[in-house]
Amino acid sequence: MQSAFAGIEIGKRSLIAHTQGLTTIGHNLSNASVEGYSRQRVQMKAFDPIYMPALNRENTPGQIGQGVEVSRIERVKDMILEGRIVGQANGQGYWAARDKYLLMVEQVYHEPGELSVRSLMDKFWESWQELSLYPQEEAARQSVVQRSKSLMDGIHWQYESLKEIRSMLDQDVVATVKQINTYLNDISSLNEQIVKIEALGDNPNDLLDRRDLLVKNLSYLINITIENRDPDEFSIHTSGLHLIQGRVISPLKTVSDPLNEGYTNVVWEDSGETAWFQGGKLAGLIELRDVDVRGEIQKLDMMTVNFVDLVNEVHRSAYGRNGRTGLDFFQEYPAINNILGNYDRNGDGVFDSTYIFRVAGQNNLDPQQQIGLQGTITLSGPRGNITIDYFPTDTVGDLVERINVSGSEVVARLDRNNTLTLKAIPAAVNENPDFVIRHIEDSGQFLVGYAGILNASGAEGAYDWGGADAVLAFRGGNLDFAVAPLQHPAGWIEVNEAIINDPGSIAAGFGVNGRPAASGDGSAAIAIAALRNSPVMVGRLPSFDEYFSQVVADAGLRGEAAEIALQTENAIMKELEDMWQSISGVNIDEELGQMIKFQHGYTAAARFITEVDKMLDTIINRMGV
Amino acid sequence: MKRISTNMSNYDMQYFSRIRQWEMNNLQNKMADQTRIKNLRDDPIAAAHSTRYLSHITRLTRFSKNIETVQSNHRIAEGYLRESNNILHRIRELAIQGGNDTYTVSDKRIMGEEVNQLLKELLELANSRSGDGTFLFAGDKNQTKPYRIMEGNFPGINGKLATGVEYIGSINPGQAEISEGSYIDTNMPGNQIFWAEQQQIFSTVDGTSYQVEEDSTILVDGERIDLSVGDNVYAIIAKINTSRAAVQAHLDPVSNAIVLQTTAPHQLWLEDEGEGHVLQDLGILKGNGVPPHNLAVDSEIGGGSLFDMVIHLRNSLYEGNTIDIGGSALKGLTLAQDQVLAKMAEIGAKDERMQMVQGRLDYEIPEMKEKNSREVDLDFAKAITDLKMLEFNHKVALQTAARILQPTLLDFLR
Repeated sequence: MQSAFAGIEIGKRSLIAHTQGLTTIGHNLSNASVEGYSRQRVQMKAFDPIYMPALNRENTPGQIGQGVEVSRIERVKDMILEGRIVGQANGQGYWAARDKYLLMVEQVYHEPGELSVRSLMDKFWESWQELSLYPQEEAARQSVVQRSKSLMDGIHWQYESLKEIRSMLDQDVVATVKQINTYLNDISSLNEQIVKIEALGDNPNDLLDRRDLLVKNLSYLINITIENRDPDEFSIHTSGLHLIQGRVISPLKTVSDPLNEGYTNVVWEDSGETAWFQGGKLAGLIELRDVDVRGEIQKLDMMTVNFVDLVNEVHRSAYGRNGRTGLDFFQEYPAINNILGNYDRNGDGVFDSTYIFRVAGQNNLDPQQQIGLQGTITLSGPRGNITIDYFPTDTVGDLVERINVSGSEVVARLDRNNTLTLKAIPAAVNENPDFVIRHIEDSGQFLVGYAGILNASGAEGAYDWGGADAVLAFRGGNLDFAVAPLQHPAGWIEVNEAIINDPGSIAAGFGVNGRPAASGDGSAAIAIAALRNSPVMVGRLPSFDEYFSQVVADAGLRGEAAEIALQTENAIMKELEDMWQSISGVNIDEELGQMIKFQHGYTAAARFITEVDKMLDTIINRMGV
Repeated sequence: MKRISTNMSNYDMQYFSRIRQWEMNNLQNKMADQTRIKNLRDDPIAAAHSTRYLSHITRLTRFSKNIETVQSNHRIAEGYLRESNNILHRIRELAIQGGNDTYTVSDKRIMGEEVNQLLKELLELANSRSGDGTFLFAGDKNQTKPYRIMEGNFPGINGKLATGVEYIGSINPGQAEISEGSYIDTNMPGNQIFWAEQQQIFSTVDGTSYQVEEDSTILVDGERIDLSVGDNVYAIIAKINTSRAAVQAHLDPVSNAIVLQTTAPHQLWLEDEGEGHVLQDLGILKGNGVPPHNLAVDSEIGGGSLFDMVIHLRNSLYEGNTIDIGGSALKGLTLAQDQVLAKMAEIGAKDERMQMVQGRLDYEIPEMKEKNSREVDLDFAKAITDLKMLEFNHKVALQTAARILQPTLLDFLR
């Protein structure tokens, strides 16, 4: 039976629904500028009409409408787009980190300009040229000393700057890991609340927005994928592993890695295993720290070691004005104080390896001569040994070239006297020490009788670093090989104190037949100045000129690539964010339009109640009782 | 239809004006620094080229400086040689005059006196210094006087006279780099300039049965000649003759001893390297002394220096020996003068070579600078128009934004 007050009830429902609508509009307008806020819409539906088929059904034509009600308040959102954004943001994070730090690396080089190490080195060579003209003059010697010092200062400064960048990256890694853990905790507690609220059948719109924002921020730091299959258990994965599953999180931890100069490794807190990431800021930072900046430092070290070794090699065999000879121009410190290079690597008290940087042959070779021998040279490579075949028709020059392009971590060159010299370069793999020759072997006679490096051919005559006294395999004595330098020579090599104290010790001439050089003998100064542009093998690069232009081009090209990639990523993200804004962003015009609609709805409902009120008034007050 | 949220136009405006402002800032920095490459990434390849050009320019400038130094040294040396030549000319005149029997013995004695004075002047010239105080004709032993004068008495002459002159300089000319990997001698050893005849050294030791006992090296005029165990005297002679030294060796057919002879006038400079003793065994050297005073006592030495010739003339004039004056002395003088002239010509030739290199450098240095400028310098006209264009765009964007962002429905509701 229809109630007399039913109208009021319908009106009231309408009033409530429209108020709700207006409130939501207010909420939207208020949050228009909140990051990650997606607009909400009130879903209204007609209230259940009477009558349903049942015993109490009145026998009247129906159904009779019962007004309106708010069924739910929902976010306007494209979940697929959301997934796209989360999938894309890690690229932006990765390239933004690279762009920022590579710019710093570029600035360390000061190129092209007058303050660069290259420019200081030009001045260094020039001072030797000057000395070659005036070997008898103190002023020329002083200029050699001063310019060498400023060159070393320049190299140290560059090393310190690169190291500083590496430390900054390391701190950034630690901070990023902390940030990730904070996000994980926040998401986990949100998950808990959201599940509770959803259990009651409500839409926790604002909490969902907050979670989406956190997930988006997280996806900027590491590459993640979201899994929403189980509505009660919101999960995030990275590289196939769970980061978060409902309330349970797998936090990350940083531990110092002794194999990597004490820099931090990112590991899973639970298992302690190293965590690997393919994208995001964190992956970018780790790659920058352990590949890019480490590579720059290695290149600088390599240049310094070769530079110092070459200058010293000439300087040792020449005479100073005061008759001193055999003096190193630059002070080198060996990694170990053992002339045979024996080293106890695992620290058990027994020598177990040999650290040798350079070894020279006994015989003078002619680069154009055909070797007339056949065999296979085996040298240590980045991962395992590398073999190089040679044939009777090869010239010595051909074979040297072939060794240098073989990709081994040992390079060859013919020195001033055309003896064959083998040198180590920095190791690609962290476990291997830099500037250590790890293996030399020749199945034939080239390195043995011909060049005079090894005592015997074949595996039994091979030099291998994995044992003490490995230098016994060498034909020459301890003047023909050099022990590996202390780590990061670019950071500590200095001009020899003896030379600073007495510039007369600078060896300008080779002298004749074992007699000290005459006052006007500038032959050694010329030989040192000539190192500048001659093929001296700075690592895999033939000359210093080549080195300087290569590092500049390399750093610049990487920076350029990062900048372009970042611009692309930014444009893509902008596009996605625009789409997101287009769907979920608040439009005030639209909201105001809605507001007017609800206002009028409200007014109409109020008006309707007034009408019903009038009807009831008629019944109650005017009917003739 | 695409829906536009109220914030979108704001975001867009911010996004694009950020990019534009970054570009403007970048351009402004480049203009302030007057370079196209502010950071390496602006043009990595050009930056790499530029490093090469800059280093190359430094080197070329250095070569140019080296050439100037050597040229000025050579000019000074040339001046002294010209003067020496003038003196020799006068001495020759005296020799021709004195070779004439129409002059009396006392006339010749007076001529001898003049020659003696001229000899002193020649010695002064041989011991002359260059601008930086080093001795010009001492090779690389440039801080000791290259010529030592031995004095003695001459019958009938009052006071001490120079009776012999010894060269104590070295034979290594200093070197300077004048272009990539190419070197030039900076000075000239005096014993090559002030020398008259071919020098010969006759050993007195029979060398036919000699064999080298161990691998060793001999130095002939500074050239290293490696000898190996078992080399006999013929092998040694062959090795000397095929070496780069201007020296010829042969075996004396009578005494079977080795004979060394220069092929261009200069003093022979012989040494055994280190502890070697091949030349000593062959009877050419004694002990491991320093050349040129290490020749074996009993070896015969022929061929003399310019000073030997002048002294010979002077002595002949003093003695009034007409035959020697017009004969051997005059011949020796002619040879000496030829040698000085030849060395002057050599200096001239070297100077010409350096001038050619200098000419090339004068052309190459600006060329390199231009290349470098093309790589790294900013095109100002372009930069300024670009900047103006950006400024204009920025203004337009801001004005448009000011109009679009303003009105909402809010403005029209009462």
